[in-house]
Amino acid sequence: MKIEKLHSTKKIAAQLLLLILPACAVGAYMLWHINQYYSVLNNQWVKHSLFLAAGLITGSILYNYRFRFISTFIPLILLLVIISRVIRIVFTGEFSAFYASTNFYIFSFLFTAGWLIGWGFARMRYFPIILSAVLLAIQIVVVSKTTDITAQKLIIAFAPVLVFALYIIYTAELVRNMNDDEPAFAWFIGKKLTGFAVVATLLLILILSFFNKEFKAIEKEFGGQGKQQKEQDKESLTKENKDGTISNKKEMGMSGGRKSSKRLVFIAKLDNYFPGTEMPNPLYFTYDYFTKFDTLTQTLETDSLMPSNDLFQPDPSKIPLYFTQTDSSVLLKAKGNLKRKIVTTEVYKALLSPKDFLAPSTAFFCQPIAVEREYKQQFKSAYRAKMYVSDLNSAYFIYNPAGNTELENFQQQRFEELRKVTNWNNEDRNFMNYYTFIPKGDSYDSIRALAQHLTTSATMPIDKMIAVRNYFLSKDEDGQPLFRYTDNPGIPGLPSANKLTFFLFENRKGYCAYFAGATLFLLRALGIPSRVATGFLTVDRSDKNKGWYWFYEDQAHAWVQAYFPGYGWIDFDTTVPSTEQQQSPAPDGTPPITVQSAQFVSFGKVLNVDTTKKRVEMEVNKMIFHDKVFELKESVKLDMDVSLATINKDTGIVSLSELKKGMEITAMSFSEEIKNIIPLDSNSSHEIFSKIPKPAPIDEITILDTEKEKQQKKEVKKEKKEFSLLTTLWISLAIIGGLILLVWSMPWLIYRWFKFKALQNSGSRQKAYWSYTSAMYLLNQLGFARNGLSPLEFAKQEIDPRFKTNFSSFIQAYLKTKYSTQPFTSSEENIVRNFYSPFDSSVKSQIPFKQRFNKFSNVYRTINYFTKPKV
Amino acid sequence: MEQQVNTETALQNIQRLTDNIETVIKGKRNQIKFVLTALLAKGHILMEDNPGTGKTVMARTLAQSISGSHDQSVNFKRIQFTPDLLPMDLIGSHIFDDVKKEFIFKKGPLFCNVLLADEINRASPKVQSALLECMAENQITMGEITYKLDNLFFTIATQNPVEMEGTYPLPAAQLDRFFIKIIFGYVDEETELDIYKDYLGINNNLNNVQQVLGIDEILFLQQQSENVFVHDEIIKAVRNIVWATRRHQDILLGGSTRSGITFLKCLKAYALVNGRTYVIEDDVNDLCQPVLDHRLIYRNKEAKANALGNIRNAEMERLSKLKINA
Repeated sequence: MKIEKLHSTKKIAAQLLLLILPACAVGAYMLWHINQYYSVLNNQWVKHSLFLAAGLITGSILYNYRFRFISTFIPLILLLVIISRVIRIVFTGEFSAFYASTNFYIFSFLFTAGWLIGWGFARMRYFPIILSAVLLAIQIVVVSKTTDITAQKLIIAFAPVLVFALYIIYTAELVRNMNDDEPAFAWFIGKKLTGFAVVATLLLILILSFFNKEFKAIEKEFGGQGKQQKEQDKESLTKENKDGTISNKKEMGMSGGRKSSKRLVFIAKLDNYFPGTEMPNPLYFTYDYFTKFDTLTQTLETDSLMPSNDLFQPDPSKIPLYFTQTDSSVLLKAKGNLKRKIVTTEVYKALLSPKDFLAPSTAFFCQPIAVEREYKQQFKSAYRAKMYVSDLNSAYFIYNPAGNTELENFQQQRFEELRKVTNWNNEDRNFMNYYTFIPKGDSYDSIRALAQHLTTSATMPIDKMIAVRNYFLSKDEDGQPLFRYTDNPGIPGLPSANKLTFFLFENRKGYCAYFAGATLFLLRALGIPSRVATGFLTVDRSDKNKGWYWFYEDQAHAWVQAYFPGYGWIDFDTTVPSTEQQQSPAPDGTPPITVQSAQFVSFGKVLNVDTTKKRVEMEVNKMIFHDKVFELKESVKLDMDVSLATINKDTGIVSLSELKKGMEITAMSFSEEIKNIIPLDSNSSHEIFSKIPKPAPIDEITILDTEKEKQQKKEVKKEKKEFSLLTTLWISLAIIGGLILLVWSMPWLIYRWFKFKALQNSGSRQKAYWSYTSAMYLLNQLGFARNGLSPLEFAKQEIDPRFKTNFSSFIQAYLKTKYSTQPFTSSEENIVRNFYSPFDSSVKSQIPFKQRFNKFSNVYRTINYFTKPKV
Repeated sequence: MEQQVNTETALQNIQRLTDNIETVIKGKRNQIKFVLTALLAKGHILMEDNPGTGKTVMARTLAQSISGSHDQSVNFKRIQFTPDLLPMDLIGSHIFDDVKKEFIFKKGPLFCNVLLADEINRASPKVQSALLECMAENQITMGEITYKLDNLFFTIATQNPVEMEGTYPLPAAQLDRFFIKIIFGYVDEETELDIYKDYLGINNNLNNVQQVLGIDEILFLQQQSENVFVHDEIIKAVRNIVWATRRHQDILLGGSTRSGITFLKCLKAYALVNGRTYVIEDDVNDLCQPVLDHRLIYRNKEAKANALGNIRNAEMERLSKLKINA
């Protein structure tokens, strides 16, 4: 049997080069992209894209010959099925068989997908459109898996696929219509593709300039140095912000390893002491709570809908210096009053983002404070926070329990205290269901079994928890620690194996996220409501400065909090100490001395700046005087002497010239002069103002976001906020709907355009052309195909008898203008002038509206009208 | 202005000629047009069909419509080609004159104005070749002497479908001499009835054909057809079609450059026959098949049925969408 080629070799080569190769590239890109969201793919996207490419190339080459689809595709499927059976037989042992067949399934799937795409390219004319739609749909599904959708992520996800979609639709038609005998064939293709590249680039630039800010971030990530940072970013618990600062991450994956450098993030003074002693009690600094476990991505996630949300997350950069933000509702939601007290901390940020707020649980108060001038270089900003902390919490209990009798006593007291809790029967059902939720499945059942096994002898909840903790600290038969701490736990060999089970039962190596995750499920299996907290581990490193703690990047941490009725959420850390980890250097530097409290702080807008005289005039709306806040009903003008003042911004110290009219600022004075003013009992703000010297001596001015920046930030924030899943869905639906509507109404729009041209042109040649085009298009849309007749024959034989029009005489006149240089006779002129409108209405009136409507909206006909017939 | 008048008389003359022929040959308007096209393009025509479809009548009527000298119709000769026909039978031969005691040339039937070569494919290739020179050059060379033919020399050849028994296919060179080849075809039912009635009534038979035009007028028309305007896009279309035939995978032998030139000549003449002094796309559409089809060699029957039509349709599609801002 001789199998004939469908296309010439040249055409097949062009197809491979122009269609299949880009498809492989996009396939690889998408696999890489999806790999970030689905751990099943196991970071093997290079291999997977080779599978896909193999399928693509085989399929496309095969179907460029006259093979039948069914008779080739069925054997392929059969072959794959047989091989998978064979694998099961050949590979003995449950483990390797499972591994091999999973790999083979992925291979079969990708190969078959590639095969089908290759078939589509070779055989189906409109396949690129279908393919584009499918690819975009895949990207939508993948993107919808992410919790925080930003413009940047959207660009990364959609831009390449969109460009590919445009490219493939354009090029497929180009390759289809190309004439491979054309002498300057390469030139023709090159010309067209260059044109396309220019248009696509312009489009891309347009889109990217629209998302300019986000684009810069992408650039940074893809640039040489940025890549390393990204690697690092992915695997650590902190993330680097665009401005170089550091924040805790919003999600915790459990893949790969954890690496952290020893950069200083912030330092803090914590006024917490063990009850009745002078001994400082360090506490973990909480950033966020992770309460939800996504079974698909195997990631712990934050959830703003968690019951009794006691998370206080102000943005300190948005609060004017010395003004405060409090949320007393978290005190109620913390659900604990026993053994609680209010404690203050002062946090000085080094690398920590100015927007971030970290404090031991449960914080409810935030007050940005000034940093002494000599520490300004090291610490960009600072805030004071107040927390409602539990006496039962201490970083010592977990990290350094042994060796210190005093501490061990406290530990025992704490356990005794918690033994009072026997059950959670009086708790809200919703609350309990949420915080004890475990997904269904074999691997979770095994965790449940382990939890039961570990706690058989314990009765009280706290004893059960201690049993769990002891399990993590226990030794195996050889006297070696059962669990080890490592930053690089290695990837479990099974693609779909539950990472937690792998950690708990096989590998037993991991970093804090593994311990926290495993503990969370063990506790939840025991019915103890629990959640994971992230933030920073507090290590007591400095002997010189009691109560001061230094926080380095490698102290980013995750641990479990368990809920005890009456006592609230109690920290519970099971992470075993690292044996090999090097300690960060013990800092000997002196901490910034607590700033003198500001005597006078005013908040308002700049009215006037005089850089030569060093004078600033401002409009005061709010002020603090001797620690008392005054809200001014009428704003007051204040003349200030700023010759000694430092001007601060988020980014650091700036010069006076940065201060512009209309900016919102806080002005501070530590001046003795003002301190000595004694306010009268009347507390009248105007009275205070009258006593303040003019110009007022100001020591520090802090610029809050200027109006413009505020707006920009608002926009960015909006952008980020509005890309919630639902909104994305609606927007995609709207876009898809719009596109469908556009495609659907396209025939009509084109018709209107032709008609407009026909009616509007006055030159008889132009008018003849447009009338002709419009009439032919109208007839084409209405289903009167010419079927190889010339327009004149068509008019004579079909249209004029059918509609009683004078189409043929018009066409004769039109052909005269088209092919001869002779002028119109007056009768021809008349025909052309008076042809279109009567013809149009006559044709329309003779076809019922419904029929006309149905036929007209057929896009297929429109496409036919504009494409070249095949020779 | 004179040009205008000339054109108008030319167009009228053609109309008269067509109408006159149509009084005898009914329902064959298109075929008549093609015959006249070949005549005006100074070419020859080949008609193919089964016997009895009116080919001979067509040729005779045309000859009788044209008046030669002395009020006689032009010199019309008819040769029935048979397998045993010899070239001499066409060209003529030298015979010995008893009185003058010398060989004189006795002209054969080729020396005429309108020649009907009936069933041309039944003659041997040798005879067919004898026609070559006179059809191409309007002259006959016999030994050393070259005899010029009349200014008006028009051959209407008929041939039976090649599949019929006892036929020799025409050589490619010979086919190329025929500008146009048409399939004569049967008339429709109504017309057939008319023809029978006419025959019985004998009110309109061949002998009553009027002589409507003189040879000079025909020569003038031939000259006029040269002046027909051909737009560049039409020339380009002819080029495209000829090129496409060479590239088409189902066509083994494509059109020659000469076939393209012939095509253009025919287009001009055809436009004139249709009463126009400019060529339009429909002319290309109508003439493509008659002018090119017999010059091409196809891979198979299916190709013969479709290939040229597809090429023509593609080119027509291009022309019909073309915007010419002349």
